[in-house]
Amino acid sequence: MADQKRVIVVGGGLAGLAASIRVAEAGMAVDLFSMVPVKRSHSVCAQGGINACNDVARQQGYSEYQHFDETLIGGDFLNDQHPVLEMTNWAPKIIDLLDRMGVPFNRSNEGFRDLRLFGGSLFKRTHFAGATTGQQLLYALDEQTRRFAAEGKVNMKEFWEFLWPIIEGEGEDARCVGIVAQDMRTMQIQSFRADAVIMATGGCGLVFGKSTNSVICTGGAASRCYQAGAWYGNAEMIQVHPTAIPGADKCRLMSESARGEGGRVWVPAKKGDTRKPKDIPENERYYILEERYPKYGNLVPRDIATREIFDVCVNEGMGINGTNQVYLDLTHMDPDYLTEKLGGILDIYEKFVGDDPRFTPMRIFPAVHYSMGGLWTTYTAGDYQPDAPISGFKPGDAIPVGTEPGQGMEVGAHNNAMTNITGLYAFGEVNFAYHGATRLGANALLSCIFDGLCNGVSVVNYVREAGHTPAAEIDQSVFDAAVKQEQDKHDNLLKSTSNGTGDRKLNPYQIAFELGEEMNSASTVVKTGSGLEKCLSKLEELKDRYSKVELGDGAMWTNQSLSFTRSVGDMIIIGEAIAKAGLLREESRGSHYRTDFPERDDDKFWKASVAKFNASSGKSDVEFVDVKAGLVKLRPRDYGKTESSAGAKKEPVGAS
Amino acid sequence: MSEAEAYSYDADMRKANRKQAVEGRSVIFKIKRCDGPGKSTRWESFKIPIETGANVISSLNWIAANPVTVEGTKTTPVVWDSSCLEEVCGACTMVINGRVRQSCSCLIDEYAPKDGDVMTLEPMSKFPVIRDLWVDRQRLFSNLTRVKGWVPIDGTYNMGAGPKESHEQQQMRYALSECMSCGCCLEACPQFTKEEDESQWDSSFVGAHAISQARYFNEHETGKQLKDERMDALSGAGGINDCGNAQNCVKVCPKGIPLTESIGAIGRSATMHAIKQFFQGKK
Amino acid sequence: MSENADSMQNRHFLLRRLHSLSGIVPVGVFLIVHLVTNSTIAWGGLNSRVDQEGFGWFDRSIATFQHEVSFINNMPLLLLIEITLWSAIGFHSILGVYYAMSGKGNTGSYKYGGNLRYALQRTTGYFGIFFIFYHVATLRWGWTWLVPGGVEWSHEHASSTFAAALQGSTDGFTAVGFLVACFYFLGVSALVFHFANGLWSAAITWGITVSRPAQKRWGIMCAGLGAGLMFLAWVSVIGFATLDYDQAREVEDQLLGESIHMNVDDAHDAVTLTGHDDIDG
Repeated sequence: MADQKRVIVVGGGLAGLAASIRVAEAGMAVDLFSMVPVKRSHSVCAQGGINACNDVARQQGYSEYQHFDETLIGGDFLNDQHPVLEMTNWAPKIIDLLDRMGVPFNRSNEGFRDLRLFGGSLFKRTHFAGATTGQQLLYALDEQTRRFAAEGKVNMKEFWEFLWPIIEGEGEDARCVGIVAQDMRTMQIQSFRADAVIMATGGCGLVFGKSTNSVICTGGAASRCYQAGAWYGNAEMIQVHPTAIPGADKCRLMSESARGEGGRVWVPAKKGDTRKPKDIPENERYYILEERYPKYGNLVPRDIATREIFDVCVNEGMGINGTNQVYLDLTHMDPDYLTEKLGGILDIYEKFVGDDPRFTPMRIFPAVHYSMGGLWTTYTAGDYQPDAPISGFKPGDAIPVGTEPGQGMEVGAHNNAMTNITGLYAFGEVNFAYHGATRLGANALLSCIFDGLCNGVSVVNYVREAGHTPAAEIDQSVFDAAVKQEQDKHDNLLKSTSNGTGDRKLNPYQIAFELGEEMNSASTVVKTGSGLEKCLSKLEELKDRYSKVELGDGAMWTNQSLSFTRSVGDMIIIGEAIAKAGLLREESRGSHYRTDFPERDDDKFWKASVAKFNASSGKSDVEFVDVKAGLVKLRPRDYGKTESSAGAKKEPVGAS
Repeated sequence: MSEAEAYSYDADMRKANRKQAVEGRSVIFKIKRCDGPGKSTRWESFKIPIETGANVISSLNWIAANPVTVEGTKTTPVVWDSSCLEEVCGACTMVINGRVRQSCSCLIDEYAPKDGDVMTLEPMSKFPVIRDLWVDRQRLFSNLTRVKGWVPIDGTYNMGAGPKESHEQQQMRYALSECMSCGCCLEACPQFTKEEDESQWDSSFVGAHAISQARYFNEHETGKQLKDERMDALSGAGGINDCGNAQNCVKVCPKGIPLTESIGAIGRSATMHAIKQFFQGKK
Repeated sequence: MSENADSMQNRHFLLRRLHSLSGIVPVGVFLIVHLVTNSTIAWGGLNSRVDQEGFGWFDRSIATFQHEVSFINNMPLLLLIEITLWSAIGFHSILGVYYAMSGKGNTGSYKYGGNLRYALQRTTGYFGIFFIFYHVATLRWGWTWLVPGGVEWSHEHASSTFAAALQGSTDGFTAVGFLVACFYFLGVSALVFHFANGLWSAAITWGITVSRPAQKRWGIMCAGLGAGLMFLAWVSVIGFATLDYDQAREVEDQLLGESIHMNVDDAHDAVTLTGHDDIDG
């Protein structure tokens, strides 16, 4: 018989679906909450691929361990090391599983899974399905979830918005026993009991106004958990994707796979050269990344590519026609090859810009893309405990650890991916653990699915074994109080409609717009102490204005304005955590680049920032705690900028 | 210009419009509004300044921040469904100038290049309206369950790689897998009609979307195991035979999915399925 | 799934496919035969087997047509064949109307060729039923009150009586007669379109054409067939609508009375003769 106990999953992207499948498969009832039909979750936007060691790369000297090592150096050693090792060890098996689910991975002539090159690696280790890999993976998991839903094992709650985690008990005993959620159509607010709650709610791109994120990526859900007492780790680590298409409503992603398949980034070598790109001869083009990073070329990690493009445009004023744009050029490639490998994204570019990238170089600029930071989580380390951290691992070196499950993390330990609140888990992008200070391309899909599959087991074990009072038996007053809190917030917002002073400063969309502008300019590619201080005071002003916000719609039915306005308040709070952690991290590491502290400072800041919401002041308290390392020793992260490029070849020598 | 010319011509027209788009213009948006199920509908017009690269989404955003009609009446922000804004999630589908498409990829320059041009926005007509431009497309997902749209794997434990697949087969399946369940093919289909009674869904026309998905799973080595069940579902009322071959589906599909080929292929499977059943004498 | 649901499902499938099939066999095949036969009124002059002295092109056409009609009228179990045909047409019509009612045309918004053909398929279906009913009722069942001029069709005077029915009188066109002729023109056009387009559509329904190129190629072939049939249909209607009643009557009377000499190798006659031989022998 199935358990009486239930698990709530909030968010229906890759992490949420993978978790739902895993928990349902273990025979436990799942309630899956999502603001959109799960098939429309933001994971659908991921384009490039999913990383995993594979047989071809293995014979060239690559290994799961090197994938692990790359992820750490990519993340500038801010990652929690054990979960990353476990994740990279699982990666090939996850690909196999997705393959079995029917994901149409591209195939070689012989019918094997095709591979492509991606940032931060010299090996082809990225599996892909055209240029819509995220879509394909999401659909595969969506299909499996639908199967469980059809069997009654997963209860779909689509168009429900998460409002608050219900926490019973105080301090050490605090435990998550359910959630408050609102039906976005009927506006009904209701509590739901659960013995564990998995947050798989993604990132917070909307805090930065225009980003590559979907409109649902407000970070609202994470912010609500944060305000309810969950800690938020490495908030300041925001990835700005180097190649996006600037647009009026958002910046659309142009996948890293465009560079992985041979795309080259350049600007006219002569400032103010107004010729058409095709008329500019090869020797009058400045290939920014190839010249500055001969070893990795266009495939340096994202933070580096972003900063260099930013530098060329903003500092040197060499952007195309003086604008903040550079060329991403694929026109030297075979158009048919491009259609097969990148068709999806090239069509998108053509639809939105009007030029065919097969024949005209694309015009791109960096845009906010991913939050490495997220809810702080913990775990139980696995079997691999080296006496001393390994230093300077190179391809072909003896691999110090096996790939069987349980080396990095103890699989099924109750606290894996659990936040500081017992029973409240964070999976996927909203889990801060994996990507450190920069995420490598094609690692996000991996971390999301890994969280669901691996740590879904932890949730099941926790619910079955921890011995807590079942949520079903907890006093109703706990749930009623939480509903009342949210109903009051909701009613107050509704009431504000009637204020109607018409003051533009109190318009929620205006507040959100100013929040985005401020966060984007102060807390993304290049940060300074003074800029962040200014940003924090601006946020104070916005918070003050928000307290008097006037809603434009007083409807009791499908009130989107209300939902948006509510999340604006939550976005300001997350924005503050991001800016404050950025201000206090007086160093440069990965995506976090401070002009006033341009060097990495391992003595002071080889630490994760942990933001805790101070309910009495309404502000964030940030402290720094040691990174959970011990497997790999720190080393500089330069991607060959200073090294000689001689001897570094794209294709490493085979194993023979 | 009538918006109902042939598709390719329409594309040319949009391209031409884009070239002659006037900067600094304003465009009138006529929007069909409805406060909720069972409520009456009304039209409201908004005059919106068009910035470079503006699309329907940015225009609706503008209205949300300035909800005042051309007559100067204050109104509520328009409600609509959206998510990715990259034409890959399918959420923001609506009827624009009489034809269904995604609103995110609908650039104003292509539809209203001159000052004072009018654009009309309506909710999809084949699904019940929740509010304004937001419709309930649950039936579309329910149809995926109806055709058992999944690969029946044994479980999520590690059991090695999936079946090997040829390059050609992958390319064929990939084309089908890009379907984002937006519902354009259903909105444009004369055989797919609005059905609010959920109990009728399983016997009403299933539409190109689910037919194509059934083919997608029939083409997978493991997915094949459910082929008979899928063909049972698609042979019955509201199945493949209800298709009238108007072929609008393939014209309006934003992802260029070969829907009519899927319909032919499922038609063939249904024929073979019936012959097989007849001679095996199972039913 | 319950037994009941299964059988419902199978019945649905069977009816749908029988509907598709019945449009081709027997109805479509009959349409081809019927149009070929009737169009002899225009091209029967080619029939050199009619070697009656003094016959011009049109006389030979009238004779050929009369000969074809007589042949059909002499077929064994004609009534059974007719009833089969009527049932098939009735079956195809009733189901067709029921199926067509399930859709809702939208050519206003989506003026694609395929969509227009879809809408036309339904319109021509409705119109075709009406036309066939009129056609059979007036010419076969003798509902002369529906015929302007009240002429009753006779298989012995096939051309003349039909021409009179089309023209509204035995003395050439009346105003109402002209409308009937136009009605016939539209009716046969609708049925030819319905058949050709149905043939194209059926190939997808049965899964014979799957790929887009295949659908397109088959479409061209159906269009070709349709054009050919349309030509036959039009010349038939024009042929009868412009036929001179008296001239036709004269030819038919000659055929009845003096028995025009046909070549001995005439296939139809040969069959009948052989039959008699067998019995006698």
